[in-house]
Amino acid sequence: MVDVSQHELVPEHTILDEDALDEVLEEYDIDRTDLPKIKRSDPALPDEAEIGDVIKIVRNSRTADQAVVYRLVVE
Amino acid sequence: MTNVDYDVTDDMIAVVEDTDLPRRLKDEVYETLEDRGDATVQDADELARAVESRYLDTRVDPLDPVGTVSAQSIGEPGTQLTMNTFHYAGVAEIDVTQGLPRLIELVDARKTPDTPMMTVYLEDEYAAEREKAHEVVWNIEATKILALGDVSTNVADMRVQISLNEDTLRERMITPEEVAEIIEDNLGVSTVQQGTEIQFGPEEPSYRDLLQLVEELRDITFKGIEEVSRVVIRREELDVGEQFVLYTEGSAFGDVLEIEGVDASRTTCNNIHEIHRNLGIEAAREAIIEETNNTLAEQGLDDVNVRHLMLVADMMTNRGEIESIGRHGISGSKESVLARAAFEVTVNHLLNAAIHGETDELDGVTENVIVGKPIKLGTGDVDLRMGSTKSSGSQAD
Repeated sequence: MVDVSQHELVPEHTILDEDALDEVLEEYDIDRTDLPKIKRSDPALPDEAEIGDVIKIVRNSRTADQAVVYRLVVE
Repeated sequence: MTNVDYDVTDDMIAVVEDTDLPRRLKDEVYETLEDRGDATVQDADELARAVESRYLDTRVDPLDPVGTVSAQSIGEPGTQLTMNTFHYAGVAEIDVTQGLPRLIELVDARKTPDTPMMTVYLEDEYAAEREKAHEVVWNIEATKILALGDVSTNVADMRVQISLNEDTLRERMITPEEVAEIIEDNLGVSTVQQGTEIQFGPEEPSYRDLLQLVEELRDITFKGIEEVSRVVIRREELDVGEQFVLYTEGSAFGDVLEIEGVDASRTTCNNIHEIHRNLGIEAAREAIIEETNNTLAEQGLDDVNVRHLMLVADMMTNRGEIESIGRHGISGSKESVLARAAFEVTVNHLLNAAIHGETDELDGVTENVIVGKPIKLGTGDVDLRMGSTKSSGSQAD
């Protein structure tokens, strides 16, 4: 099986723990459901991700060096 | 402590690293300091802070209508795109949809683009030797019967005769036995094979069955991936040296990644849905940006700032899957009835809303414009007050 995370188009996906998540939600003053979404069946997700988890994604950005985004795992 | 390869003192490094600048700007500061041999830590500090404040100024102002700005920034050069679906890619001899039709394909998130194409990179010895590269080519390109030999029908004997070409068989690394076996599996007939001659016929001596068998024979893929009709090899000069790269007409991204010799970390395709299915939503987002940028750049419009394309890609991938911009995607899933009605299929939306007794919250731009209220963008979402300032006790102007 091909390891998807090795592909140059795929950035690093990690699961965010609750405390870090609260900080993020606090900083942007949003609810969990306001975050961008990612499907449970997404090939780039770590296997342990459950629906309701929030994934932290660190991309190489064209406008900054790195950009951190968060996605909520859905359905 | 970051290790910097520039000839600057540690104090200067401390000062520059302390700012919120991205790496490349920090590097430029270091370069400038290095060039000016006589710079002091003071200078470094001033420079760094000046750069930082300029950088922070370039951030978007709150309430700027970025969506509209992005739409216009992409739309305006869009009027200069060719509407011709001239097929000429410039790379290999493969046709690719370009210009406006391609942009429309991308923004509409069409499931099946007109000209699917893959760029296959090879690994290690497959990338260095032509022989090995060819191995991969034959594992990818669909080999049909007509490439392998001649087919003739003997009506008198009710037999289909295939005369295989030895050179092609050798080149494509397939044996007559394999060909016979595949025919047997696919058509359900028993074949007689003698060297490079294969014969078979229908069970009942029926003219129709015979012709049908010939038709079905043409469709069988003996080797390679069915969707890939043609593969072109090119030797290219890349950062890592000279390598063989394959370009395919036809796309089967998932299958190709598994083939031996294929570099599964660099191989890409131009079908964003396939990228999404195989590599995930983040990769799809990046692919959308890359494809739209290339489409514009090809026509000489490469000065569209990438952040506009990034916004479009972000919006399309926000819900975890690729949504189109039109009425089947983002625009069609807005909550506001008036906004949807104003976009397309007016009467349907109004009718359904009336039947179900829907309410419009009047949150967005379109509906507020319709109703005549100020919108929540730009100056519309700012409250003004008259009066004196409390802080220093001085009167407001």
